Amino acid sequence: MKEILLNHQEFLLHPSGAVYWPKTQTWLLADVHLGKVAHFRKHGIAVPRKAEGGFYQKVNALFDHFPPQRVIFLGDLFHSSRNNEWHLFAAWTKRQSAKLILIKGNHDLITNSDFNSIGLTVYDTLREGEFRFYHYPNPSEDAFGFCGHLHPGVKLHGKGKQQLKLPCFFQSPNQLILPAFGTFTGLHLVNPSPNDRIYVTTGKGIQEIKQKIN
Amino acid sequence: MKQITQWFSDQGWRPQRFQKACWKAYNKGQSGMLHAPTGSGKTYALWGAVVAEALATKNHPKGVQALWITPLRALAVEIQQSTQTMNRALVPHLAVALRTGDTAQSERAKQKRTPSFGLVTTPESLHVMLSTKDHQNQFKHLKVIVVDEWHELLGTKRGVQIELALAYLRSFLPELKIWGISATLGNKALARNILLGPIKNSITVQAQVKKNIRVRSILPKTMERFPWRGHLGLHLLPQVLTLVQNNATTLVFTNTRAQCEIWFHRLLEADPSLAGSIAMHHGSIDKKIRLWVEEALRTEQLKVVVCTSSLDLGVDFSPVENCIQIGSPKGVGRFIQRAGRSGHRPKATSVIHFLPTHGMELIEAVALQRGIEEEQIEDRLPFLNSYDVLLQFLMTLAVGSGFHPQNLFPVLTTTFSFQTLSTEQWQWLLNFLVRGSQSLEHYDEYKKVEILDNGIYKVNNKGVAMRHRLSMGTIVSDASLNIRYQKGGYLGAVEEWFIAKLNPGDVFTFSGKNLELIKIHNMEVIVRKSKAKKAKIPAWMGGRMSFSAHLSDLLKKALFDERNKTTREFKALQPIFEQQQKESIVPKPNELLIERFTTKEGVHTVFYPFEGYAIHEAMASLMAYRISLLSPITFSMSFNDYGFELLSDQPFDRDAFFDNDLLTPAHLREDLEKSINISEMARRRFRDIAVISGLVFQGFPNKPIKTKHLQSGAQLFFDVFKEYEPDNLLYQQALEETFDHGMERGRMTRVFENLQHHTIIWRECSQPTPFSFPLITDRIRSKLSSENVEDRIRKMYLQLEKSMG
Repeated sequence: MKEILLNHQEFLLHPSGAVYWPKTQTWLLADVHLGKVAHFRKHGIAVPRKAEGGFYQKVNALFDHFPPQRVIFLGDLFHSSRNNEWHLFAAWTKRQSAKLILIKGNHDLITNSDFNSIGLTVYDTLREGEFRFYHYPNPSEDAFGFCGHLHPGVKLHGKGKQQLKLPCFFQSPNQLILPAFGTFTGLHLVNPSPNDRIYVTTGKGIQEIKQKIN
Repeated sequence: MKQITQWFSDQGWRPQRFQKACWKAYNKGQSGMLHAPTGSGKTYALWGAVVAEALATKNHPKGVQALWITPLRALAVEIQQSTQTMNRALVPHLAVALRTGDTAQSERAKQKRTPSFGLVTTPESLHVMLSTKDHQNQFKHLKVIVVDEWHELLGTKRGVQIELALAYLRSFLPELKIWGISATLGNKALARNILLGPIKNSITVQAQVKKNIRVRSILPKTMERFPWRGHLGLHLLPQVLTLVQNNATTLVFTNTRAQCEIWFHRLLEADPSLAGSIAMHHGSIDKKIRLWVEEALRTEQLKVVVCTSSLDLGVDFSPVENCIQIGSPKGVGRFIQRAGRSGHRPKATSVIHFLPTHGMELIEAVALQRGIEEEQIEDRLPFLNSYDVLLQFLMTLAVGSGFHPQNLFPVLTTTFSFQTLSTEQWQWLLNFLVRGSQSLEHYDEYKKVEILDNGIYKVNNKGVAMRHRLSMGTIVSDASLNIRYQKGGYLGAVEEWFIAKLNPGDVFTFSGKNLELIKIHNMEVIVRKSKAKKAKIPAWMGGRMSFSAHLSDLLKKALFDERNKTTREFKALQPIFEQQQKESIVPKPNELLIERFTTKEGVHTVFYPFEGYAIHEAMASLMAYRISLLSPITFSMSFNDYGFELLSDQPFDRDAFFDNDLLTPAHLREDLEKSINISEMARRRFRDIAVISGLVFQGFPNKPIKTKHLQSGAQLFFDVFKEYEPDNLLYQQALEETFDHGMERGRMTRVFENLQHHTIIWRECSQPTPFSFPLITDRIRSKLSSENVEDRIRKMYLQLEKSMG
């Protein structure tokens, strides 16, 4: 894990793409895209079923590490409309003691009342003191924001014409964009500026990346 | 037959021997293969026979009797016109219709109501017809299928499409005659067997139209100034311009569309008076513009056309006097075809000018001349076990009348591509269509093909059927987007990955114009004209071609044969050879040269086996794999027809390389397989497979449709299959194709066995050598690493763009 300070508070970046906020015992997760595999399969596109399975193991491992009081999903929790994955997720939420919050994303077509019925509180955006939580990247001066949507990734260069594409946390002065937590999701390459900080994740480890101006 | 001969003399022609041979064989009910070059009268060789048969038939049923398949829509138009001309004169009551992707919906409906005697179509459109419910009824009067330009289709997945359609039609039309028309090939017998399948009553007809072809290299005035790698050949522009000015019409052939755009611009810049009489022709340019260029060529309105392989085929341009080939044509067959574009008059000598883009290509010029003299035309390698094409075909049948697996299986195994299809693999494919996996899983909502009570496999879901219909015929290339002016006006299509690299406001060159990108919307690239001088030039993927096996043999002969030392080309090369000899050596036939030098890019190790691109691609990966076992290291590889380069950030040890006998032919197959898995060479292959098999749904350029949340890239599929379902046949196919098509297994073993008798010469050089130059400057590369990712990241950095921040 990688520790960073934001507005003088400690946050931990986890190789899975999640962020832990020790002071409030909160886990932040962006772009899980649950049910994406099922959605594709329902429409006749044969993505291996196993590609979906990763979420529950991954998230349970996080919660064993730091049991949360609260979990905030930063949007795109579900990939599309309800399918069988919904029931698996409902069964999982039942077992959780933490407060579950969903910030709505563009993929979340499922109604608020459906989410409420399985124990999630839904917001468009959420503000808590000097921190804000929202789905679309949209930095503002008055608070530090956490968001997702982008599935940020970077292409690294090295000697010998080496290149490597990896998902990353994208930190700008007033905002942190989390990588997608879901497995079958893909990357969007970002162009950071010198004021931004990039932490790449390999799934096992996290490293901040040196920048070089062309 | 008399009437056909009479019609010929009415036109002022005399039937040639091969035409009469076709008519006679066809009349006897035979199927066959005709080898004849473009412009020789091959269309009437077959159509004359078809019309003769029609004349001998009293009652013509309502239904298509003759189907003519061509690989290109542009050709289809031409064929329809010439066959219709003959019909009008001899059987005026029997029409020939055209059915391609451009045919309007209303016209298609009309064709269904009142079918014509003949139908000219493409492989894709034939499959679309097979996806209708009553196709068996539509085709029940079919007597013959002619497959034109078979050499272009064979060796591609569209060829597999043809194999499947023919086998299927034969299964309910046992009397069907099948004819192929092909340019000359190395493996003629195989080409015929693949097309005709189990048909025994067949014949091969060879047109004896020998052409005299002369190759003339364009050389710089001062030999010393020959660049090692110019990559565009623009330093020879003045010579090209002189050739253009001295001839009525010139075709300039380039290997890539990017090269095509650049040469067009530079020619116009160098001689502004060409404006109005210079044009460009490549596959991405809008059809209307292309057709106009073709027509203008025929009517001698143009002085010069810069083109790619888009002008290789069919269409006859008699007025063309002069052809220039920029860069290596990568094969004797293609070179002959291009040379044949000039001097179309029988017995005239065709001259093709060869413009080398770097010094080493001059050796190729010598090799090509040899190949033409000895008529060493290369083979086309057919695809085997293309599960992606088969899955698409099964879906095509399933959205139409459905299929019965037990009836269909024996039909499929009569094709060349699926001759070894096992019942296990067949079951796998059926499971894939019905369940989307191999095991029945609780909770799964997979829906595609259903099994009806009578055992018929059928698609009932409208959305599934619609998506399949829209993605049929996608066996072409990368996803492409239409380019359109903001105010309207369609310009052509460009591949998605190129546009993805541009930001709004960027200027790029397309179709000879500088265009500013406004936005991308609904699969369309919206642009406006730009006055900016500097523009990015789209580099299309299409240009990567491999040297054929024959040509690499010819190349070695050209390099090592003493007799060539007196040619103009070798004289021009003298300064390069001298420099090479000074820095390193020019290897002899029984020597393998390895060069090692360091630049700011890293440590270069360059091997020169002279075995052709395909073999080098595999060898590079294999050597990188074996070396990477010695100690953790990461390689970036490039390859060309002469050799390959392994680039790394640290040197690997020369002594360890020799002590461990890394050039051994032992364990070749296992090592190759492992290297393919690690280097991810198969990833590139998988893109096509994902599109063809329907995993990646692209929609259709002109018909943006709602595909809510169903879009995903082929790369992502590759990753999940690799991780979660490595025995998936589509994933396996990607690995197999890398083997079969990329590297020709048998040849690889021979190459390594041969190396055992070579002397290995390792040279430490102080700087890059002339031989190495084309390799080290190549930007298209493969990767292979045995280093831990975390260690690699530590040595890397993020490149920031200047304009940002």
